[in-house]
Amino acid sequence: MEFEMERFISALFDRSPPHAVEHLQLVLIPLTTAFIIAFPTAVLLTRRRFIKYTDRVMTFFNMGQTIPPLAVIAIFFPFLGLGRTPALFALTIYALLPIARNTLAGLKGVPQDVKEAARGMGMSEWEMLFKVEIPLSMPVVMAGVKISVVLTSGTAALGALVGGGGMGAVIFAGIDFFRAELIIAGTLIIGVIAIVLDRLLTVIDNILTPPHMKT
Amino acid sequence: MIKLDKVDKVFPGTTVPAVDQVSFQVDEGNICVFVGPSGCGKTTILRMINRLVEPTGGDIYIKGQKVSDKGVNPDYLRREIGYVIQQIGLMPHRTIEQNVALVPRLLKWPEDKIKPRVKHLLEMVGLEPDEVAQKYPHQLSGGMMQRVGVARALAADPPIMLMDEPFGAVDPIVRGRLQDEFLRLQKEMKKTICFVTHDINEAIKMGDHIVIMNKGRLVQHGTPMEILSNPADEFVKDLIGSDREIKLLELTRSEEIVEHTDEIPEVVNKKDCFIQAIDPVQRALETMMKKDSDLVGVRDGESFIGTISWEDIKKHINRISGDQA
Repeated sequence: MEFEMERFISALFDRSPPHAVEHLQLVLIPLTTAFIIAFPTAVLLTRRRFIKYTDRVMTFFNMGQTIPPLAVIAIFFPFLGLGRTPALFALTIYALLPIARNTLAGLKGVPQDVKEAARGMGMSEWEMLFKVEIPLSMPVVMAGVKISVVLTSGTAALGALVGGGGMGAVIFAGIDFFRAELIIAGTLIIGVIAIVLDRLLTVIDNILTPPHMKT
Repeated sequence: MIKLDKVDKVFPGTTVPAVDQVSFQVDEGNICVFVGPSGCGKTTILRMINRLVEPTGGDIYIKGQKVSDKGVNPDYLRREIGYVIQQIGLMPHRTIEQNVALVPRLLKWPEDKIKPRVKHLLEMVGLEPDEVAQKYPHQLSGGMMQRVGVARALAADPPIMLMDEPFGAVDPIVRGRLQDEFLRLQKEMKKTICFVTHDINEAIKMGDHIVIMNKGRLVQHGTPMEILSNPADEFVKDLIGSDREIKLLELTRSEEIVEHTDEIPEVVNKKDCFIQAIDPVQRALETMMKKDSDLVGVRDGESFIGTISWEDIKKHINRISGDQA
């Protein structure tokens, strides 16, 4: 395989940008959806009434991550067909577990004495959740979101295989036509997307992290 | 003020009751200390009073009102009861000010009432409001955190306080100081207090009334003097220790044996030989030796209330050993 600088630059700046936008959507939409599903679910699973379902639900989330996204698409092919929708769906399922797992871990990690005192002061369960438990578990929750972001950024490249678009389209074109420039440009941009999103989340994380936990 | 009537607690999955048929009563304005080895059920009793634990049998009354009544919301009940625990449990993500203001905010006090209240409370527990109010708990020492814990429990001026080894997490010197300061505060506040400790010395020092627990049962209750001079059984004797007579001197407050007079004897004044009413009798002895006097003056705060003589102390010791015989 040969490498031409001119082609590389063209691949990077002419061919990639529209795919990069698609790729960003393939990351952000599943991530947001996964958060909206996984976070409240995990919070519920730490409530006394629902604690007995924790294992079952977590097994489901675990499965979501062990089954490769391509297999998920294959399983749901009869219902969802090909294209963007199944890609988004598969990526969402893939992103659930780290968020759910870290939310559980974060909530369980809230010091027992703080909860005991909060309850003893007369905080209701809701007040405890929103004023004590969620704020104190934020750093761990955000760590989970970051794992999901990095994971989804990479996996989203597979979306192109089912016509879902994204940077995968550039990479697979490179593989098909034996063009190193395309492969490298595609990979590079995925990397940049992952890093930029991670930094962005770090900023949010910093805002949400309680002052005493900041390093 | 607080009444327990044959209260039982069997925790799920166990057969041995953690609290077994316990009945007693705490009078208004008194400190009642629960003392006993770990696992004796003292903390469980405390947690049943504010319904952090629900009893499996018996009834608990506060001011004649049954706490387990359907109309009583446990969250609202707890807002009316100060609660201090050994681990303190300050909200690590909130400033000291926000921590102390927790219950007033839950009770939806107007903000302009909360600020001065927090300032007053911090001063009351011996902290400098300007210095600590905006700090976070991890920036304070253990002793300071304990003080904040007490201030937080007092914030909404609850008539009742539950304190679970409130001074347990600090070193003995700081503990002694916190105990003294708290007793001084209590003189003005006159709260009804349930206080849990495993330390019999602390129990005797803090308690108007002591409840001794063992294996979920109430073994003996009475004033510190009653318990020291007349232990109910071997368990109580062991708990008190072999230095019972000395302890009595160490732990009898001077005010209990003071001879009340209004006139300050000249010898006391000349040698500047004074102690405080809540000081132990042992302090009276020390002062006598240091100042080479056989009479000490006793003050309650600034005001003179009477004297203790060497004879008074001897009589006191004799009375105790007489009880013993």
